Parts: sequence; C-alpha cells; structure tokens
Amino acid sequence: MGIPIYPVHLEDPLFQGFYDGLDAGELRITADAETGEWVWYPPEVVPGRPDAVLEWRPVSAEGKAYSFTTVIRSLLPGDHKAEVPYTVILFEPDDAPGVRIAGILVDDDGVEPACDMRLHFRPVEAGDHRIAGFAPVRR
Amino acid sequence: MKGNKIAITGIGETAFLRKGEETVMQMMTRASLAAIADAGLTPADIDGHVSNKYVGHPSEEVAHAIGAATRRFTAVADTAGGTATTGDALRLAQLAIEAGLARHVLVPYAIRSTKPGGVYGFHAREPQKAGLEMPAGFFGQPTYFATMANRYAHEFGMTEEELASVSMTYRAWAALTPSAQKRDPMDLETYRQTPMIATPLRVADCCLTTDGGGAYVVSAVEAARDLPHPVISVQGVGIGYNNYPHGVLFTQKPCTFDYPGWDSAAQAYAMAGVDPKDLNLAQVYDGFSISAIVQTEMLGLCDRGEGARFYAAGHAKPGGRMPINTSGGHMSGGYVPGINLLIEAVRQLRGQEGDRQVPDARLCAVAGLGGNNHSTTILARD
Repeated sequence: MGIPIYPVHLEDPLFQGFYDGLDAGELRITADAETGEWVWYPPEVVPGRPDAVLEWRPVSAEGKAYSFTTVIRSLLPGDHKAEVPYTVILFEPDDAPGVRIAGILVDDDGVEPACDMRLHFRPVEAGDHRIAGFAPVRR
Repeated sequence: MKGNKIAITGIGETAFLRKGEETVMQMMTRASLAAIADAGLTPADIDGHVSNKYVGHPSEEVAHAIGAATRRFTAVADTAGGTATTGDALRLAQLAIEAGLARHVLVPYAIRSTKPGGVYGFHAREPQKAGLEMPAGFFGQPTYFATMANRYAHEFGMTEEELASVSMTYRAWAALTPSAQKRDPMDLETYRQTPMIATPLRVADCCLTTDGGGAYVVSAVEAARDLPHPVISVQGVGIGYNNYPHGVLFTQKPCTFDYPGWDSAAQAYAMAGVDPKDLNLAQVYDGFSISAIVQTEMLGLCDRGEGARFYAAGHAKPGGRMPINTSGGHMSGGYVPGINLLIEAVRQLRGQEGDRQVPDARLCAVAGLGGNNHSTTILARD
C-alpha cells in the first residue's frame, strides 16, 4: 500500500495543533477550553459561543473505523499515481464519540478494511510531514 | 405555499458534451433562448430571473444576453447542486409569481466540468479539507461518496451486483435517449471493466464530466393554459436542510449518507397531497450510485436499506414499475446538476419521449441533492 504525499497548507493556523500532535506522537483534537467538550473540526466560530477559546488536547489512540475507502485513482491536485493504492480511514476515537479523523490504514498485514474495525493510532511519515495512520488492533 | 399554482411552460438544453467549446454564458444563453421559444414567448416576456450562486453569472448578465429589456424580479438560489435547480428556484419563482412581481420567470444553468481546477476545485478551497483531509489523501467527491457506500453496505448490506444495477439501469434508459452522452449497453461485465476510483465506486458509479446547459420558464398555471404545451404544474416542493457546513459534511455528520431528503420528501408529498405510490416515474439526483440509492429510499419508492436491491430487481428499468432517470440521469445522460433531470420530467409528462416514453406519465417526483440541502419536487400533467 502507498502513502499519499500532499503538502499541509497551514496558512490557516486553526489546524497547526493537529500536526504538532503528530510530531509529538499524539493524536490531538480541539476542545472547548472552558467546558472541555470536543469541538471538531475546529471551526472559526464555536456554534453559539463566538467568545469560546479552543485548545488542543490528546484524544484516545484507540478507536474504530466509521468508514473507509481504498483509493485507486487519487483525485488530489497533481500527479499522485505512484502513491496509490492507499486506504483512507475515518477514525472515531473511543473517548470522543461522533468525532472523525481522516488518516490511512497502516500495518494491515492483509487485513481487509471494514467499518467498525478496531484500530489504534500511529503517526506516519508522508514526505516532509506526518499524517495520521491507524493500524488494526490484534487481540 | 400551495401546489398547482405555477407551471413549467418552457424547457431548453444545449448539447451535452464531454468537452465543449462554449463558455458558461454562451450555454446558458442558448438554453434560455430555447426554453423561452419552447414556451411560445419572447425574451421581452421574461420579467423574472432566478440565478444560481455557483454559476458565477448574475441575472443582469443573463437578461442582457437573452435580449430582455428589463427585469422586475430577481433572486439567487441559496442552495447547491440539484436543490438549487430543481427545488429552490421553483419555490422562489412561485413566490414571485404569486406576489405579482413577475409573470414569466427564467431559471438558467450551465456547467463547464472541464474548466481548469475541475469539478472538485471548490472543495480544495475549504479550509478543513485542505488542512485536515487532503494531506491524508481524502479528497474528491468519488472518495467521499465511497466512504458513504461502504458504511451503507455495512449497515444494510449491498453486493457489487446490487450497486452495479444502478449504473446499468440508467444506462438502459440512456440507450433510448439520443442526446445522452453514454449510450453503449452496460452489463455487469462492462461495468466491472470501468476503472475503480475508490472502493467500491468505479467510473460507472459516478456522474459524467459534462459541458452543457439547461433552462426553464416558470409561469402561473392560468397563464400556462394559453401557451403551446400541456400544462405541467408544480404540485409540491419541499426543501430539507441541515446545518453542517460543506467542510465537515462528509466526515463529521453522525450518518454521512443521511441527506435531508426525508424532510424534503415529506414536505413535497404533503403539499401535493399525494403518496409515493401515486407516482408514475421519478428523476433522482445521481451524482453517484450510492447517493441515488439513498434518495430512492427517501422518496419512498422502497423501504430504507432496500434501495440497491430495488434497482437490482429491475423496478426502475424501462418497463419496470417505477422508471427512474429516464434519460440516463447524470451518470449516463449528462451532468448538468439537477436541471436536466427536471427537464426530462417535463418532457415525460408532456408525453414527448418516443421510445423511452413512460406510458400515461402523469405524476413525477424529482429529487435534488445539494450537500447539506435536498429538494423534492412533484410535477403533474393536468
């Protein structure tokens, strides 16, 4: 399986904390600093609370796949033929119901991707940055 | 808002091409003039305009291009995709006509799918997608809808053959449609020969790349009786919304394929005073086979979770009990979001369709998807 290589555009500082987390080996998402509620994806305005402040907090590295797809033809701008196939996972952390984080399936050893499969987080090198990888949990 | 107050009195289309030479304005003008002529009107009769915020040409440009002298009413449909062209525009037109602000409202649309940046360029400009999804390789509508298809299959079951039957159904209708872009016969083997994009969606599961335009004219039912064609009235329009912005819609919504179509269908049927079983045919916004399956369920044409099996049983094919996308839809006919489905509904209800005419077609539903919004429109022949 390949790894998608696409530059992280962080002109918008809203997302810097996610990549800082990956560099630190953590999966971090945004939470309301006052209430502690997860707010994901980080919006420009927290609904109903324009004064709310968000902060990046680690979220469970264990969770499951809401869904997946194995990309055969990348639709990313540019030429990405050498990077396919790879399997995108929409990951739901155990301690953040309803939150989904896009990443790729890694260390699958031929395990077929499936909805609700148990996964654990592992950062993956993707060019000059890291992306979220998710490996099947083996019991 | 009540049904049977307005009618679609004129329809027009350009050719649907894989790659055309004309600009969006040229195509909109060509389709608009055809629709106005079809209605037995002249550009001077058009006093109302509903434009589309994604097309990029306001009504002043269209009015000038068609040679209309003035405008009395203008509005912009604040929705996307099929919702804007097949639901929202009709609702705005009815408001204007019933208020006496306009007599004949023009609704034009055109798309150049082959423009630089492609049809997914607007997603690349969404900050959440650029910042959090594209680096993970999650990009492009076929990829988004592929994850919906896998989740749908997980919840309800769906075989490859059942998924393929959607494409095969629409292709069978396209084979009967001279203006359709893809008319070659499609069986399971030829379906499987089309390239996989993102599992389980193949090229055949996706709408076409089209350069083309369409337009229609809306008039009061009373005025329609003096015009050349049978009166095709709007019996019901429903629009459902959710408030998930497009940047989060394909990942964070609790059920990513739960479009607001249940709501739009309930509104439209209530306004029209009819049930799904009263329909003779339907047009369903088929950006992808999976979204067509779900909307077929939302229209009430089959039970929830049974959409793929409904198609596999042949119910929507020529000769089936509920013909769907009778000109090939967006997947085989042409992708001019929503408007060519509405135009096909009008043609069927007029009884003009030759080989593909649905016998005694009198009531047709049109489902339009626009991301976080969805419309259902019920059209009837007098």
